[in-house]
Amino acid sequence: MNATGLDCSQHALSAAYYADAARQRSVKIVENTPLSRDTFRLRLASPELASHILPGQFLMIRLPSHESPLLARPFALYDTWCDDSGTPLGLDIGYLVVGKATRLLKAMRTGDSVEVWGPLGNGFLPQATEHLIMVAGGIGQTPFLALGREYLGGRPYGNPGREVPPANKVTLCYGVRSKQFAAGIEDFENAGISVKISTDDGSLGHHGLVTDLLKQTLDQRLGQCRIVCCGPEPMMHAVARIAHEREVPCQVSLETPMACGIGICFSCVTKVRQLEEDPTGEVWDYKRTCVDGPVFDAAKIVF
Amino acid sequence: MNTAIENTNSIAPPEVDLSVQLGRLHLTNPVMVASGTFGYAREMAHLVDLSRLGGILPKTVTKQERQGNAPWRTIETAAGMLNSIGLDNDGIDAFLENHQPYLTTLGTAIVVSIAGRTQDEFVEMCQQLDGVPGVAAIELNISCPNVSGGVDFGTDPNMCEQLVAACRGACELPILAKLTPNVTSIQDMARAASAAGADALSLINTCQGMAVDWRGRKPMLGNVIGGLSGPAIKPIALRCVYQAAQVVDTPIIGIGGIATLDDMMEFLVTGASAVQLGTVNFYNPTVSMTLLDALPAALAELGAKSVAEIVGTLRV
Ligand SMILES: Cc1cc2nc3c(=O)[nH]c(=O)nc-3n(C[C@H](O)[C@H](O)[C@H](O)COP(=O)(O)OP(=O)(O)OC[C@H]3O[C@@H](n4cnc5c(N)ncnc54)[C@H](O)[C@@H]3O)c2cc1C
Ligand SMILES: Cc1cc2nc3c(=O)[nH]c(=O)nc-3n(C[C@H](O)[C@H](O)[C@H](O)COP(=O)(O)O)c2cc1C
Ligand code: FES
Repeated sequence: MNATGLDCSQHALSAAYYADAARQRSVKIVENTPLSRDTFRLRLASPELASHILPGQFLMIRLPSHESPLLARPFALYDTWCDDSGTPLGLDIGYLVVGKATRLLKAMRTGDSVEVWGPLGNGFLPQATEHLIMVAGGIGQTPFLALGREYLGGRPYGNPGREVPPANKVTLCYGVRSKQFAAGIEDFENAGISVKISTDDGSLGHHGLVTDLLKQTLDQRLGQCRIVCCGPEPMMHAVARIAHEREVPCQVSLETPMACGIGICFSCVTKVRQLEEDPTGEVWDYKRTCVDGPVFDAAKIVF
Repeated sequence: MNTAIENTNSIAPPEVDLSVQLGRLHLTNPVMVASGTFGYAREMAHLVDLSRLGGILPKTVTKQERQGNAPWRTIETAAGMLNSIGLDNDGIDAFLENHQPYLTTLGTAIVVSIAGRTQDEFVEMCQQLDGVPGVAAIELNISCPNVSGGVDFGTDPNMCEQLVAACRGACELPILAKLTPNVTSIQDMARAASAAGADALSLINTCQGMAVDWRGRKPMLGNVIGGLSGPAIKPIALRCVYQAAQVVDTPIIGIGGIATLDDMMEFLVTGASAVQLGTVNFYNPTVSMTLLDALPAALAELGAKSVAEIVGTLRV
């Protein structure tokens, strides 16, 4: 059994994982603070959610009494926040303002409420590795703060807190458009994660692609490693290819648009290879990202 | 009397009878969840007390497995959404093997929604479902806008009548006919399904619609055209229920944009004997419980002791 009380074999990356621990609640905003250009951190109060959620899981957030936007939006766990004794009191999400819902979210204040359901999705499975390499494009960095912290033994997640074989090193390769969009770097560094940055315009770190950073990191890797990746699809595809060439296990967290987040609408589908039945990788089926993912083995995704 | 409004206890006052009779189908209460908007119910087991629902309609099943349409499959619109899922399902055999055994355990009326490309396919599926433990009724989805074939049964009154009659003859189960609003006369379709002996009419499926990205000069949905649902279509659904109720005595199940207690009561008063909640499950997953909790007090507010008492009591 893992921390959500599910059999791990059922909770695996292809499993029939439904919203078993999910609850729908109205929760209060504790603060809504800027992290960088167009990027904010929303702090929510909910000990119940915070004590159950795992790195890589997400929640649906809906603005109450709105019919436009009508639907909730999915956001990954950025991190939980705790009192001095380490008891989780709530959770943070990091969001980029891109459209209708995030524009309204930006205007919300301390004390306002949002409707939330979660924790949702499979999240990352705790798998032993000496060096965890996290590759993020833009706002795709959000699932990695809690994951990195967990692998470095910083804080347990889940109820009861799940055990993760500690990694010797966790690296974040983080690609953004330009310096002003780089968000939360101190959060990662304070958790003990080593951060490498690339920008499209050279305004910070490496001038070029985040995949250059990945290749560099793989060249200097410390022992056996794993890659986790989240960001725009072309980037995840490129990372999956590199991982395949170098024979490093790789998982991707997909950001497929979702209407419900709980497996009932069948809109969030992605093409997943049925490798068990067909090692050639040609046979695929549409799978719901929200309940079969959002974390998948990169080799299984038809990009 | 007014104090009853304040009282939103989850326990129905004993004098209020929530049960409804839809032809040969008996439900403990009028709150059902619509096909395609509640998965296979299992997904909702920890959010909703499934045993309290009046009825559950799992996602429509077809004879053969269908992969469904290419993404994007849904697009949010003003107070609603468009979908073109395309009846993505594993086929009826897989449904009976993987989902029905679980659904049977819920103690709720399970109404299996089916869609065929031909009358023979519909009939074969009715025969296959006949006698399956836990199946309370069949809903004929003759109204899905996202697949070719099937929909003619919902737009041509003669074909509709023949199909419903054939399905009634093929099994002992109560038959519900789910109609599309995308017709010139909903009354002609209601008459046809009713004449063929449908136990109830489910009104409505989605309204055809479209969304476009003008900068990219391309349609937003993978399937170009889709079905509109949610609060945006409630007035259309109410009008359909009203018009159908004027010409048939067959019980009607109201569907379309129902999200609040007021919405549900409006449908009942207009002529629906029960309702199905659809899109609202996506954006308020526990809504069915909220509406069930509030229903007894709303009935009491009208001085009614049963749901049946208020059905079709609109004063025009
Ligand atoms: C599991 C998961 C975790 C996520 N975590 C985060 C996170 O931590 N932080 C974060 O900022 N974002 C995250 N996202 C993305 C986030 O959900 C979206 O950015 C958000 O929904 C945007 O909402 P909006 O109303 O502001 O934008 P919208 O107005 O909905 O539009 C945003 C953009 O999406 C496009 N779009 C609209 N509908 C569709 C559709 N059906 N299919 C494809 N594209 C569409 C639009 O054209 C537009 O360019 C996550 C997504 C998933 C699936
Ligand atoms: C994503 C989605 C999938 C649907 N799938 C089905 C289906 O498989 N079978 C069916 O009879 N109706 C299907 N419907 C239609 C609904 O059951 C309902 O008739 C319609 O959405 C109107 O109700 P609403 O406005 O409350 O959603 C679907 C609707 C949506 C939004
Ligand atoms: S978002 Fe509805 S099924 Fe995944």
